[in-house]
Amino acid sequence: MKNSTLIKGTAAIAVGAALLLGGGGTLANWNAEASATPGTIVSGDLNVENKVAGVWTDGLGKDITAQIDAGTYLVVPGDKLTFKQELAVTLSGNKMAAEITTDGIDETSGFLANNVSVSEPVLTVGTAEIKNPLTPTGSTQTVTATITFDFLASTTERDSVNASYDFKDVAFKLTQVNSTGDGLS
Amino acid sequence: MRIKRSLQATALVAAAVVLGLLTVQGTYALWSASASAAPGTVASASFDVALSAVPSGQATNMTLADGTTSANLAITPTATLTPGTSVYGGVLVTNNTNAGGSFDTVITASQGTVTNVASGSLRSYVSFYAKTATSSAECSTIAGYAPIGSAGLSSPAVGKGGSTVFCFQASLSSNAPSSVKGQAVNISLQLTARQLCGVPGGC
Repeated sequence: MKNSTLIKGTAAIAVGAALLLGGGGTLANWNAEASATPGTIVSGDLNVENKVAGVWTDGLGKDITAQIDAGTYLVVPGDKLTFKQELAVTLSGNKMAAEITTDGIDETSGFLANNVSVSEPVLTVGTAEIKNPLTPTGSTQTVTATITFDFLASTTERDSVNASYDFKDVAFKLTQVNSTGDGLS
Repeated sequence: MRIKRSLQATALVAAAVVLGLLTVQGTYALWSASASAAPGTVASASFDVALSAVPSGQATNMTLADGTTSANLAITPTATLTPGTSVYGGVLVTNNTNAGGSFDTVITASQGTVTNVASGSLRSYVSFYAKTATSSAECSTIAGYAPIGSAGLSSPAVGKGGSTVFCFQASLSSNAPSSVKGQAVNISLQLTARQLCGVPGGC
């Protein structure tokens, strides 16, 4: 009985090997090839840069940036100063849209609060207030952030003399946004 | 009991899944970029007004070092007052602000009060006049003196680094009796420096 099983097994192996050898011999059949050319996918861009220094002007529109930087322009009640910072916004991409925002001013002020009025940064493109989201225009867009510092003429006595107002860094963030049905995930 | 536990476990898993989904939405990642501006520091000016008595030369700032207390400046004429004569004094007022832009001031002298020293009666025979001038030398010339009205006497605009002079004249009536001989009066008035609206668009 054992011998019979051994013989049957050996025969099965032999038949299998013969089939494998036989199949290998009949490999040649028709085949053809073709190729697709998906091309190159190029990504867009999103960036916001502070390429030029901001400019301070006084109530007459005179540039006083150097004096502010040197600490030699000292304001008095009635002074209304304006700071303008140009931001270069780069946007490209077929479905690109982005919002630009500011974190506002996180100042350290030695002025009495009722002696000064400082505006939050106002963002404009040209003279028009910005309308988010921004979309690509084919070239770099200039967004201007404007802050006004008004040392109020209503200040009395010697209030807020020899005081300082440190603006620190004012941050701006450009963030890509999705719109409904744009197909972006 | 086993069913209850199963339900609790299922609810817990469901809550975790919902929380997980919400968390995923919160980390929605798209491109972003940042830039910042550094406007720097805006500093305010001082408002210092210097006073110098004429002729004594005693000097002080209008506001003392504590920033709030007003100074007292004594102007003591060197001459003695006799009937029909006058004595003169003055104060040189200088705008010592360090303002960056324009900073014009006007200084106003109040009407002033004349009071007897001790129990004297000299006050009734003393007249007090004032004028503004460009130099203290003008104080000893009689021209231009007038009583100070209720609105006070105001100087012309005094710009940064500029100054003005208030001259004062005290005259003793020629009718003053000999009983007032040796008596004295105090004449006190207040000087107020006020910023003029010299800042374009500021007022």
